[in-house]
Amino acid sequence: MNYLYFLYIEFLAKHNIPQIFGDITFYVIPCTIIFIALLIAILALVLLERKLLGWFTQRKGPNRVGLWGLLQTLADALKLLCKENITPNNADKFLFNLAPVIIFIPVMIVLGLIPFSSEFTFMNFQTNLLIYIIVATMPVLSILLAGWASNNKYSLFGAMRNIAQILAYELPIAFTILSITVLASSMNLTQITLAQSSKLGLLGWFFIPCFLGLIIMFICTLAELNRCPFDLPEAESELVCGYNTEYSGMRFALLYLSEYGMLLANALLIAVLFFGGYLSPFGGYLTTGFWIYIEQVSWLLIKTFLIIFLIVWIRATLPRMSSPNLLKLSWSILLPASIINLFLVVIIKYIGGV
Amino acid sequence: MKKLKLNLGPQHPSTHGVLRLILELEGEKILSCEPDVGYLHRGLEKMAERLSYIQYLPLVDRIDYLASFFYSELLCRTVEKALGIELDKKVCMIRVLLLELNRISSHLLWIGAYLMDLGATSPFFYTMREREMILKLFEKITGQRMMNNYFVYGGVRHDIFALDDIECIINTIEKKILDYENIITENPIFLQRTKNKGIISKETGLNGSITGVNLRASGINLDLRKNDYLYSDINYKSIILETGDSWDRYKARILEIIESCKIVKQTLDYLQKTSGLKQNLINPIGIKLPEGSFYSEIEAPRGLASVYIKSTGEKTPYRLKWRTGSYYAVNLLRKLLINEHLNDAIAIAGSLDIILPEVDK
Amino acid sequence: MVLHNIKNIFNDITIDGDKLFVKSNIYQVLNFIKNNYHFNLLKEIIAIDNKDAGIELIYHLYNIEDDENVFISITTKEEIESVSQIFNSAIADEKEIYDMFGINFIGHKELKRLYMPETWQGHPLRKDYVEEDARLNWNEKT
Repeated sequence: MNYLYFLYIEFLAKHNIPQIFGDITFYVIPCTIIFIALLIAILALVLLERKLLGWFTQRKGPNRVGLWGLLQTLADALKLLCKENITPNNADKFLFNLAPVIIFIPVMIVLGLIPFSSEFTFMNFQTNLLIYIIVATMPVLSILLAGWASNNKYSLFGAMRNIAQILAYELPIAFTILSITVLASSMNLTQITLAQSSKLGLLGWFFIPCFLGLIIMFICTLAELNRCPFDLPEAESELVCGYNTEYSGMRFALLYLSEYGMLLANALLIAVLFFGGYLSPFGGYLTTGFWIYIEQVSWLLIKTFLIIFLIVWIRATLPRMSSPNLLKLSWSILLPASIINLFLVVIIKYIGGV
Repeated sequence: MKKLKLNLGPQHPSTHGVLRLILELEGEKILSCEPDVGYLHRGLEKMAERLSYIQYLPLVDRIDYLASFFYSELLCRTVEKALGIELDKKVCMIRVLLLELNRISSHLLWIGAYLMDLGATSPFFYTMREREMILKLFEKITGQRMMNNYFVYGGVRHDIFALDDIECIINTIEKKILDYENIITENPIFLQRTKNKGIISKETGLNGSITGVNLRASGINLDLRKNDYLYSDINYKSIILETGDSWDRYKARILEIIESCKIVKQTLDYLQKTSGLKQNLINPIGIKLPEGSFYSEIEAPRGLASVYIKSTGEKTPYRLKWRTGSYYAVNLLRKLLINEHLNDAIAIAGSLDIILPEVDK
Repeated sequence: MVLHNIKNIFNDITIDGDKLFVKSNIYQVLNFIKNNYHFNLLKEIIAIDNKDAGIELIYHLYNIEDDENVFISITTKEEIESVSQIFNSAIADEKEIYDMFGINFIGHKELKRLYMPETWQGHPLRKDYVEEDARLNWNEKT
């Protein structure tokens, strides 16, 4: 980030603009970029999922709006913008309207913590990872708000299930992340990425010493994102639509898109923690100069896409878990396994001195 | 803990129509369940008292839109029995062929819809793809996809054709069934959701009068096809399973599809050899049944279906009573869902294969 | 007919083919038949309005082991004992008959309208049911 900052200040100095202006705008520009990029990425993600699901189930997927249906989600978003926002009569109106607004804040903060390339992290703190896991659990609060304020039994059930699920699956994630911290000796995501770089390319990535952790992390991510087979909070056939049953129009769109925002963020996190983030799988980069940054971003996005593809594939294949088993899986299998994983990683670190 | 009353339906994604379950919940545990039906009541029995027999025939297809052949066969059979009409063997074979194809399509839809209830979306599209082939075939033969109205008193509307298509469809389905087995049957999550869930013991099943696949999955050998004169020349084995849980009901339907494929093949063998069609059609205008009461029954996909006609020698029946399988399955939910988790309740209710037009008549 | 010796126990029963005509005590007759002859499946209860003769209820029982059907017929005017204690499925049948014929089943716990709305007047399948809607009579004019 410093490199970009100096480039920017130099560029401003050339045009005789005071540095104080640069200091202020330098933090505005990334926020704008991240917001726009996030929106585009989420829209693309929704389309991607629909297309993939279509292909998995022998359909064509959206193919009418734009070339190959590329503008479908944009059209859907426009439609939702134009629709009436209905607030149920007995709902808590303030909280009901507040929930979709605040659900987007953590999604944006979380994406700012991801190192997209060696010089492209919007918020680079020493304890990036810790902030990530704290902020990433925030959406559940707005889900609780949404479920409670809707004054609908189905919404309430959805919210209740969601809270139970997040509580159960947060702990294994914390232990897995701890083992990554042990391996990298750092809580900074850029440092973690750099700790995975080696001449051997992808053999140095953390998914090899921490394979058990990867599996735990992946399952827990599915559960935290309410993705199939853990989609109990919005189980369509039981709870109609879960916590967003009563929402309509743009508020529904915000709730819906924030889910995809978290999906993107979590897939990025897995790519960073286990698959070397922006590192190339061949050891060295294929390009030189400024192009390296583009290449790094591309590697990260390719890895993220593969993880998202896997998530969609699972959604197309598996039925939903039953609720008691869901909690049992977490407390009696994943939590012990994640602790075992931590011990294993410590031993590997001690012996190998990775 | 405070009790919560939840109206599951009549407009709800998992109730397959307009079933309303009034649940009393404690947390997500069900304390009591009361099914409320009648949102689709069309008064089919009352209508029968005002319509002549030929006017009533197209209507009975609507009793169960997924198994329309069975109900029109049932009415035809009762009238034929009353008037003493004997069917030619080829007509019997054609009827068996179409009934079994209809059974396959009904079970296929159930498999897809049930997996949809459990949260797996893909199998629905796969089974609909195979069902679509059968519906297209029905359209080719009878002119209609679902409300076929092909059986008439004393025969069928016209001779069957497209036998090669049927053979092709049966071969495809036999292959695709293996695909379903691969993706669904041994899936650990599916096993978790269905094994030992919603067990219907022999006594509960008999006491609740559920019939058909649901009862055979509990281990009771009640298959009306063995007494059926249509099936007299056909070799098949009825599927009897043991425990009567949701998984058994699923497996029984899969096996029944395979068995139905075999029956269709036998009828195809016969039909390909014979040509010409000898029918005993009667003048449909002014059919009058002799005085007395007539009863007949058939093994429909959703259990025993029967019709009871009391005639006084008029153009219209004096009283006509339908018995449908789903109605009793709905009433069994009252017992079956108690102390289950809401999440399992959907899986259990779905496994009984309830079709609401059949319940409401 | 396996039921021929039932006459010795209940003396007001007449047998005609597979049809039994019972005058009273339907609960005891069904209970006896279920326990002693293994007729353990109540396929359905058929109700027929015979105008002045009252409403005939036909209990259709089935014996799975011997593959045998029996129709037990009883005529009543207004009320009859419920058999839902013997056969669970009778709850459903009796509810339907109450809705359609207005027969009161004594001992049935939740007797209320099933298909028709709660406020509906009359019982549609009775022969003395008056339909005032002209659309219902279109077939009889011709």
